Amino acid sequence: MEFGQGIHFIIGSNGEGKTNFLESIYVLALAKSYKTSDLVLIRHQEDFAKVEATVLSQSRLFDLSMIISASGKNAIINKTSQKKLSDYIGHLQIVSFLPEDMNIIKGSPRERRYFFDVYMGQMDKNYISNLGNYKYVLKQRNELLKKMNQPNKEDDLLLDVITEQLAEAARPVVEHRKKFIQEINLFLEKQYHLFSSKNEYYRIQYLPSIETEIEKVMKSKYRTDKMSYTTNFGPHRDDYDFYLNDVMAKDYASGGEQRTLILTLDMALAEMMKDRLKEYPVILLDDVFSELDYEKQNKLIQYLSKIQAQAIITTTSLHELNQDALNNVKVFHVSKGHIQEEKQHGKSSKV
Amino acid sequence: MQYPKALEDLISEFMKYPGVGRKTAERYAMFSVIDLKNESINDFSQALISAKEKIRPCNICHHLTDKETCDICSDGTRDNSKIMVLETTKDVFSIEKSGTYRGLYHVLNGALSPLNGIGPNELNLVSLWKRLEKDDVKEVILATSATQEGEATAQYIKRVLREVEVLVTRIGYGVPVGSNLEYADDQTLNKAIENRRVF
Ligand SMILES: [Zn+2]
Repeated sequence: MEFGQGIHFIIGSNGEGKTNFLESIYVLALAKSYKTSDLVLIRHQEDFAKVEATVLSQSRLFDLSMIISASGKNAIINKTSQKKLSDYIGHLQIVSFLPEDMNIIKGSPRERRYFFDVYMGQMDKNYISNLGNYKYVLKQRNELLKKMNQPNKEDDLLLDVITEQLAEAARPVVEHRKKFIQEINLFLEKQYHLFSSKNEYYRIQYLPSIETEIEKVMKSKYRTDKMSYTTNFGPHRDDYDFYLNDVMAKDYASGGEQRTLILTLDMALAEMMKDRLKEYPVILLDDVFSELDYEKQNKLIQYLSKIQAQAIITTTSLHELNQDALNNVKVFHVSKGHIQEEKQHGKSSKV
Repeated sequence: MQYPKALEDLISEFMKYPGVGRKTAERYAMFSVIDLKNESINDFSQALISAKEKIRPCNICHHLTDKETCDICSDGTRDNSKIMVLETTKDVFSIEKSGTYRGLYHVLNGALSPLNGIGPNELNLVSLWKRLEKDDVKEVILATSATQEGEATAQYIKRVLREVEVLVTRIGYGVPVGSNLEYADDQTLNKAIENRRVF
C-alpha cells in the first residue's frame, strides 16, 4: 500500500479489518498496541504478527518493522534490531484519535498519563528513557517495601538510598510534564475555533503528585508507604484536568463536547509536533465522523486539507459525509482484511 | 531424529553454561566424543572436579582462590591502605589485568536489588565493615557498576561509612567506560581509577 500526502479514507463495514489497519500503523509508530495486550494482534493459529513500512521522515527514508510474538517484541529500523525503545520511537510520528480516547477526560488518571506520555515520548526520546528509568527505580522501591515486614536498620537505610534515587529520577519527568502542558496550552489556544465558532476555550492543567522538594516529600511518606507496601506519591500518581470554559470537563462536558475537545487537542498536538520536528505527524482517525455533525466534519476535513498532512481516516461509508468536503481525497476499501484503492473519487481527484 | 541418550545428556550439561544454546551445546558434545582423546576427556573432567573442590572465596576479600587467603591479600607488597569494592570476582580480574592498581579488593558478590532478591544481608558487607575496623585502611574505592543497582550499592556503603574515619571515593565512570567494568579496556579502566573522586 502506498500513501502520499493528504487525506486517505479507509472504508469498510465493522469487522472487516479497517481498525486493524490503523492499529498496525499505530504499532509501527509506538512499538505497542493500544489494546491492553500486544498479543491480541497475532492472528488466530499464527505464531507472530509483523508490520512493515517504509516511511519518509525528516527527508530520510526508513524501513521500519515490528515483530510481535509470545516471546516478545522486536523493533527494527533498516534491518537493525533496536535494543532500546527510545531509539526506535520517533521515526514514524503519529497523532491518533481512537474510540478509546473518549475515556480520557472521564476515565482513570492512568489513561490520561498514558495519553500524554505517548506524545511527550514521540517528541523527545530523553523523556522515554527518563520515564523508563523512573519506572525501574519505582519497581525496586515497591519490591523493597513489600519485603520490609520486620523493622531493621539495613532495610531502612536501603529505603533511604532508593528513595533518593527515585526522587532524582522523578525530577526530570515532572519538569518535562510541566513544561509540556504549558506549551500544549499555547497550541490549544490557537485551535479553539477549529470546530466551534462560539467563545469556547480549552485548557489542560497538570496535577503533579509531588511538584517540588520531591525527595523531602517522599521521605515524609515512609509510614504510609510501609503500611501499604507501595509508593504512594510520585509521577506515577500524577494526573491532568481538562477545562472547558473554566469548568472541569470531567464534571460538565457532554459526550459531544468531550469529542470536540479531544479532537481539538489532537490537532494542537499535531501543530506542536510540526513546530518541534518541522513536519506534521501522520494523523490517524478511527471512525471519528459518525459522531460529528456536517459542520464539524467539514471543518475537520478543511483543516486537514489545509495543513497537507498525511491523514488516514476510517469510516463505514462516505454517504453520511458532507460531499463538498471530499475533493482531493483518496479512498480505499477494506473487506475481509484486504485493502484496495478506489481508482477515482470525487469531482476532481488527482491521480 | 533423536540423539542417543548419553549424547543427549551431555548436550543438556553444556546447555547449562551461560551463552550456550542448543546448537553450540551440540557442537561441544560432538567435539567431545569425536575429536577429544580419552586422555583429554579425563583431564577435562578432573579439572572440573578439582576446580569445584579447590576454588572458594578468599576468607578476607571473597575473591576466588585455591587457598584459604588469596594471593592478593597475602601479597605483602600490596598497598593495604586501599580497598577497592567490586561486585564480582570477574571485576577483580579486569582490574588486575589493567595492571596499575596495587591496593586490595573486596568482592560483594552482587549489587543491591530488591527485584533480584538481593538485600544488604545477601552481600559481603559485614566482612567489609570488619576489615575497616582493624586494618589500617585509609581509602575505600567504590567500583560497583554505574547501573541503578551499582549506584544504590555505592550510596549504601557510603552512608554506613559516614561513621567510620575513612576516605570514600567512587571511580570515574565516563561515557567511554560505560556502565560495566567487564567491557572496558585496560586504558579506560586505569583512567577510571585515576579519575576517582571523593564520594
Ligand atoms: Zn583475598
